[in-house]
Order: sequence, then C-alpha cells, then structure tokens
Amino acid sequence: MNVVVCVKQIPDPATPGELDASTKTLRRSGSIILDDSDAYGVEMGLQLADKAGGGEVILVSMAPNNENKGLRTALAMGAAKALLISDEALAGSDALSTAKVLAKAIERADADLILTATESTDGYTGTIPAQVAELLGLPMVTFAKHIEVDGDRVKVQRQTEAGYDEVESPLPAVVSVTAGVVEPRYPSFKGIMAAKGKPVDELKVADLGLDAGQVGWAGARQEIADVSAAEERKAGEIVEDEGDGAERIVAFLEQLKVI
Amino acid sequence: MFEWSEEQLMVRDAIRQFVEKEIKPHLTELEHGDLPPYDTLRKLFRTFGMDAMARDRFERQIAKEKAGDIDDPVKTTLSEGGGGDGGAFMVIPIIELCRYCPGMVTAMGVSVGLTAAAIMSKGTTAQKERWALDLLTLEKIGAWAITEPGSGSDAFGGMRATARRDGDEYVLNGSKTFITNGPYADTIVFICKLDEGNDWPDRKILTFVLDRGMPGLEQSKPLRKMGLHSSPTGELFLSDVRVGRDRLLGETEDVQARSGAKDTFSMERTGVAAMALGIVEQCLDLSVQYAKDRVAFGRPIGEFQLIQLKLAKMEVARLNIQNLVFRQIELARAGRSLSLTEASAMKLYSAQSAMEVALEAVQLFGGNGYMAEFQVEQLARDAKVLQIYAGTDEIQISQIARSLLGS
Repeated sequence: MNVVVCVKQIPDPATPGELDASTKTLRRSGSIILDDSDAYGVEMGLQLADKAGGGEVILVSMAPNNENKGLRTALAMGAAKALLISDEALAGSDALSTAKVLAKAIERADADLILTATESTDGYTGTIPAQVAELLGLPMVTFAKHIEVDGDRVKVQRQTEAGYDEVESPLPAVVSVTAGVVEPRYPSFKGIMAAKGKPVDELKVADLGLDAGQVGWAGARQEIADVSAAEERKAGEIVEDEGDGAERIVAFLEQLKVI
Repeated sequence: MFEWSEEQLMVRDAIRQFVEKEIKPHLTELEHGDLPPYDTLRKLFRTFGMDAMARDRFERQIAKEKAGDIDDPVKTTLSEGGGGDGGAFMVIPIIELCRYCPGMVTAMGVSVGLTAAAIMSKGTTAQKERWALDLLTLEKIGAWAITEPGSGSDAFGGMRATARRDGDEYVLNGSKTFITNGPYADTIVFICKLDEGNDWPDRKILTFVLDRGMPGLEQSKPLRKMGLHSSPTGELFLSDVRVGRDRLLGETEDVQARSGAKDTFSMERTGVAAMALGIVEQCLDLSVQYAKDRVAFGRPIGEFQLIQLKLAKMEVARLNIQNLVFRQIELARAGRSLSLTEASAMKLYSAQSAMEVALEAVQLFGGNGYMAEFQVEQLARDAKVLQIYAGTDEIQISQIARSLLGS
C-alpha cells in the first residue's frame, strides 16, 4: 500500500520567528525543520504500509527555496522518497494555491491513501487537507485519532468534542490526523545515514502542468491586510479562600465552559 | 572536520529530543539514586538502533574470527570508531547525555566501553559469545574491577586481590572498590594477581570474568558520593570464589593484561573529553540565558564586564574541547587512535576546563547557583570526577611529562 504524506518544512519554533514587514509573511530564511504536526502522519503512514506487508511512504512537500532538511528527518524515520515542489514562483502562495500544487504532485504518486496533519504549526489555516481532497475528487475524513485499513476501505475514529465518530471510506481517500493518532518514532542512526541516499525529486511549477500565474503572489486570492502583535498574557486572578474556595473554582470553570 | 555535518546534527537533535523527553523529567530520581539508569539506557539503545548496530558488528567480528581472519578485527570502540561516521555517532550521545546526566555516560561507558571491550580485546571467541554480546547491547550490565581500597592510581603496584591455582581451577580472593555498576552488574571483569608464593611485584596479572550470584561473590549497595549520582558505584568482595579456566580471559595466563589495561586507559581518557564538552555546553547555555534574564542594579547582569569575562572564558573552553573532540573523530575516521600521551593531554585539559566552567557557572548564578533547582551545582559536582577517574590529573601530568622527557 502506498501512502502519500503531505509534510511542511517550517522555521524552527525554537528560534524567534520574524515577519517580513513588506509582505506580512513569515521569514523562512533561518533554520527549517519538519513540522512536528506532520511527524504523526509520517509515523501513521509507516505503520500502515508495514501492516499491509508492502508499499511505501512517499512525502510531498512544497517550498520556495529547495529546502529539504525537514524532508531528510521524515526520510530518516523511514519514508522511501520525497517529491519537493520548489520554485521561486511559489513565494506568497495562499492556502488554495498550495493545495493545487500539492494535489498535482500527489497525482504523480499513485497513492492508496493520503495523510495530512490537521493544520500546520506556522500557518494554522487548517484548510489545505479538504482543499486537496476536493481538487483530487477524493473522499475526506478529518481529525483521525485512529486509522485502520481493511481491504479497499479505511476505518477511522474521528475525534469530536464529545468523543469520537467511527467513519468508513473507500480508498483512495484523504485523511487528516491529530497528534493522538500514533507516537512518532525517533529516527535511528541507520535511518539517518540511509536518508542521505534516498531520492528527493525536485519539481517546478511548470512540471506539474500549472501556470506560474496560478500560484504564489500572482495567484493568491487571499491577502494579508494587517498584522498586529498578540495581546500580552494577563496576570491570573488571585482569590483568597474564605471558606467558599471550592464553589468559586467551580463557578470559574463553569464560566469557561470547562465543566 | 571543523563543524558537525548535517547527518551528525540530525543525530544530535534526535538524541537531544530523547534526553529532553526521557531523562530530564526524571532527573531528580536519577540524581537521588532512586532510579538506576539502566532501563533508560536500554531504551536509548533500542530507540536509535544502537543495540542492533552493536549486534551486527559483533556477528561480523565473530564470523571473521571463526573464519580465521583475526588480523582485521571489526572496529568496535570509540577510539577505533568503525570508520565513516561511527566515531561521531558514538561521541554525540555522550555529549548530549552529559548536558543533564554525566553519570549515565559513566554507567554506559563502563559496561560497553570497558567491560565488553576488555572481553572483545583479550577474550577467546567462546568467551566473547558467552559474555560480550549481551554487554554490547546493554541486555546485561558490566563492571570492570581494578581499583582496590589500597590501590587507585597505582593500580597494579598496590593490587592485593589474588588468584590461586587449585587443580584445574582458580580460587579468587580480595576486594574492589569504586566499581561503577558494581551494585547491579551481571558480568564483572575482575583483575588480580596470580599467587605462586612469589613477591607481589613479580606476580602475573590475570583477568577473570565473573557472573552475578556466584558463590563467594558479594556486591555492595551503592556508595554515597559527591556527584555522579546516576552512576551506581559500589564495592565487590570475593571470598574463595572458585572459577574454571573458561573464566580466565583469553584462557591463558600469558595474556598481557598490563598492556590491555593501558589500551583501556587510553580509550577511557578520550571519552572524558566528550563528557566534558556536554557539561561545558550546558553550563554555557544556562549561563548565557541567566545573564540575559537576571537583573541587578537595574540591568541584566550580562551587561557587567565581570560576567562577560566568565562567559567569554566558557566559550573559549567550549571551542577548545570541541576541537579536541573533532580531532578524535577525524582520527577514528582515518582508522587511527590517539596515543596514550595524547589521550592524557586531552583528558587533562578537558577535565580541568569542565571543572572551571562549572564552578564559574555556579558563581555567575550566585545564590541560585548553589541551589539544586538551577542544575549548575549538580554539573559542578559531576565535573569534579573527570579530574579523578580514568587517571587523576596528576597521573595525566606525569604521563605527559615522562613522554616529553623520554623517561
């Protein structure tokens, strides 16, 4: 079974992020890593391919500047190869343009299942998985906390606020996974050494049959109008217990709709 | 080599994540001796495939030996590296573990680097198959027993542990102290003198391999000590322990145990540089952050020149030790190793620097530095042992000077 996992390479959250004042987008010139939220999809893909007794995990990623360090991490975990769409024309792409590019690349991979995270850790739009499914004309299951493949169908436990739904879909399908789906492995030393020799096929926008005007700044239908600093976190409220502490805690939690 | 490669940085990052997740949250239990380090070390080995790699190397080595090809041993030790990135892949976990838990490196290093290496170096093929593989994969824990209550730096001169022939067997007696992993070891490499009624200085040095639970062998509880609490240290007491020739390392009394021990000393000393680098890196990182955060007299203390001097000296030490570690990795890649004198020089400098840096970190943190919460006091207590074990500073100085003077 071939599993495509969409992965994003993002600026290392351990280093302070910076916005480009002119474009109002995140600068991507520093240290780039595999988005943590994508490691779950990679691990799930590896486990499903292993359980199926054959097939491989293929990574699909998009970056404006040939960056592949994050892909190497996923390859070191065990993915077989990667498709990297890298083109200066991609700079400034909005969510839909990104989805178009990813969908075109996925079409080349002969996938039985496409896994994504629910959202990236730098952009947080959370719209791309559904857009990719729509563009590919495939069924979509979101927020998977458990996945099993049974023949030509995928069975998913879909996380909800109240618990989970049990959902089935024919394959191929697009499934977005939560951080609870599996525990990602650490890459082994052997895996890290092997990753250096695994293929990363770099494609340009034109290779996918897309016009440069459909992506990047040129194709963006979404504009960042303004960016402002997040409000500073306020100090917590200190309540002296005058015999009614428990009631006041309950009232506070009820107000937050936690209980 | 002047910087870590991309693959080496990936290894570093992966190990660092493991340490943050699996070790840092349990630092208090490890520090206070409630949690022996072995299960965590085994998890480290399994997670990164270090056990499988050790097994592969071992099986290739044994296959070669059985085929009679003993002139080209498969590289297994840090100083030999195994070519390629093998040296770096052994050094990086040491550095990363030492940022939090230098004792774990000692426990691991003694089991794999000393005990297993001694058997792999001088044992027969049958002895390697019987004991070494389980040690190399950390399935079992090893101890290397040379130091005695009356002999430390003068290990052979003051040694009083004995082996006496009795028919086809030997009878072992004596006591050992400061034995890393002693309380928990499954396999013990025991070094002693053959008692033939001759004078002590003329007695042959013999090495035996013992198993936990043998009649007459007693392993003490962990000793209380200044630092390195995550490395259990103990005593061994042998009272008429009877062993067959199959437990005599090499199954001959003519093994050059002294030269074997010197090879071991050299390897041990080079490992200390990587340990020192981990301690120095962590002290520096913590100190830089503290110098930015801590405000005194209305400004961050990093703006004061006396604090800047401390940070600058720490960075100089870090760069120097890192360069020594890089040299060690390069030599391993070239299939070479440091001479005993070079290893002594490297160990002396690295250990002294780590101690100075850790104490300066405590000073920079002021009162907070004296508190366990800020970690630098633990690193300072741990760093001290680097100047004592694997040959004291004084022994290293003497070794270097004798080599320079040709004496």
